[in-house]
Amino acid sequence: MKALEISGISFCYNSPADKSSSGGIEFALRNFSMSVEKGKIHALLGPNGAGKTTLMRIITGVLRGYSGDVFIFGNKMPDNTALMSIGCAPQAISLYMSLTALENLHFFGVMANLSDEQIATRSDAVLAQTGLTDHAKKLVSTYSGGMQRRLNLAVALLHSPKLLLLDEPTVGVDPQSRNHIYETLRNLNASGMTILLSTHIMEEAAHICSSITLVDRGEMVFDGAMSAIDNLEKFFLEKTGRGLRDD
Amino acid sequence: MIKRQLTEFVKKEMLIMFRDKQTILLLFFMPLALIFFMTLAYKGVYADKIYEKQIPLVIENESKTPKANLLEKKIVSNKMIKRVDLPPGVDKDCIFEQGKAQVLVIIPKGFEEGTKPVEIYFDPVFDTGYKIAVRSLMTSLTVEVVMGIENIDAIVANLITEKTKKDMIVPSPLQLTVPAYAIFAMFFIAIPMSIGFLKEKNDGTLQRLFTYSVSPNAIALGKIIPYYVINVIQFVLMLFVGTFIAPYLIDTPFQTGTHLWHLIPVTLVVAAATTGFGVLIATLAKTLEQTSTLAATGAILMGVLGGIMVPHFVMSHTMQKLAMISPIFWAHQAYLDVFLRNANFSTILPKLAVLSLFALACFFIAGRRIKWM
Repeated sequence: MKALEISGISFCYNSPADKSSSGGIEFALRNFSMSVEKGKIHALLGPNGAGKTTLMRIITGVLRGYSGDVFIFGNKMPDNTALMSIGCAPQAISLYMSLTALENLHFFGVMANLSDEQIATRSDAVLAQTGLTDHAKKLVSTYSGGMQRRLNLAVALLHSPKLLLLDEPTVGVDPQSRNHIYETLRNLNASGMTILLSTHIMEEAAHICSSITLVDRGEMVFDGAMSAIDNLEKFFLEKTGRGLRDD
Repeated sequence: MIKRQLTEFVKKEMLIMFRDKQTILLLFFMPLALIFFMTLAYKGVYADKIYEKQIPLVIENESKTPKANLLEKKIVSNKMIKRVDLPPGVDKDCIFEQGKAQVLVIIPKGFEEGTKPVEIYFDPVFDTGYKIAVRSLMTSLTVEVVMGIENIDAIVANLITEKTKKDMIVPSPLQLTVPAYAIFAMFFIAIPMSIGFLKEKNDGTLQRLFTYSVSPNAIALGKIIPYYVINVIQFVLMLFVGTFIAPYLIDTPFQTGTHLWHLIPVTLVVAAATTGFGVLIATLAKTLEQTSTLAATGAILMGVLGGIMVPHFVMSHTMQKLAMISPIFWAHQAYLDVFLRNANFSTILPKLAVLSLFALACFFIAGRRIKWM
């Protein structure tokens, strides 16, 4: 069974009224398919506006109204069992700044339907995993950028997901925090967790991912093993072009 | 599960709100300060007699005849009047510019013969109520002097007498300012409420919530309930201060009326209207700047129209009609029904119906416009 299987997904943000007024449909994703093997760290690469974030939102059930199918460990989305097997760390620091790390973890733990005992046990574990145990009772607003990123990851890990979705998890962090995050991801993967990593940092993808999907203009342009690529940045530019993506 | 999630939402919102000093200042200290200062400012306006104030008056007796001297004596000896001398070198035409006096009375030559009338000049910014009182005083005193009557008030007392109900209490400004500024502050909840919603939308926490099996209805209720509770707390706090603290600090009585329990449905409906307004602003605004501007401007405009800034009875007829479009007007009138008019619930009910309609309209429009992402 695959951890994630996406087949023939098409999605556009335009409303029907927009379509008729502009005369055309702008697809964020067009007939997009990909899959992630269980137990892998899979890279999702693409230029700005390629459709990576849209894809992440569709996988996590945030966006509806698409055509095609999404399966998480065999469960067709939208499905509560499938949702609870996903952990998601969005690109933005999606935390409550006026709450402490523990308060954030408790809040999201309740949203994930964990019991108070489970929340307490798992909070200790994820704080230790992300190196934040000593800062658990501090307000998140007092955290450095790297600490906030690590807590963003900790919240995603709280309910012990089987599939972890990471959108640019190392943006704006120092090398120390970045290495800590890589180390954490490797350990999680070694314990059996499947990881889908969306990133712009080629070295990051080449360094920790074993397979890759390249997306551009809403379409899949490459899907295969990382070992098949010699120079990822060169490969990326060959497949997606050198022109600026300002549209 | 939903109950636990809702409890957690309420807890989270409360923690965020009570850790934000600016929000606390806005929701609790601003209305308290307004209640104190506006009560003091309105103290004279709402009294049924000239209160704690003597009107500074310059009197120029150009006649110096016995009758003119008697009139001058009667004017300056009246308790309402504080005689002020024209400062040396100051022209009487400039007396108001210097702020030394608010009334100038000239007893001209020829007054005794009835050829020239007594002249009264008022400071242009002088309160109309005081102006009427001074005009009435001058009329009485001049009639007394000219017609040789000793005490006109005693004669008039036999002709006109003012009757009031036995238990009728003259309303104190506190009875108007407490509900007025409590409602005003309750409508200001729209600011933190809409900012909170937009922040969560922008920083991705809302998106993150949708990755769990949490329904949009639970999320919406989780945002509404805490602010509804805060609204009720706001009113209870204002009422507590108005009843137990303010009367001692500013020596102004506060009566809660004979049907105190009516406050419960009134406050619950007003809180629904204010949270509805907050939800509407949250769905209308696209940026944080827009939320503050829309919420603050909306609350102030509704306050002005609704008789918070300028009492409804002082407004012109047109404005009194216009006031009816403001939910704050209906809320204020409902509270005044309880505090001042001792009204039956059937009298209050239509006002609550208007407020409920406003709340429903806000929630309906917000529901149609809401974009979670």
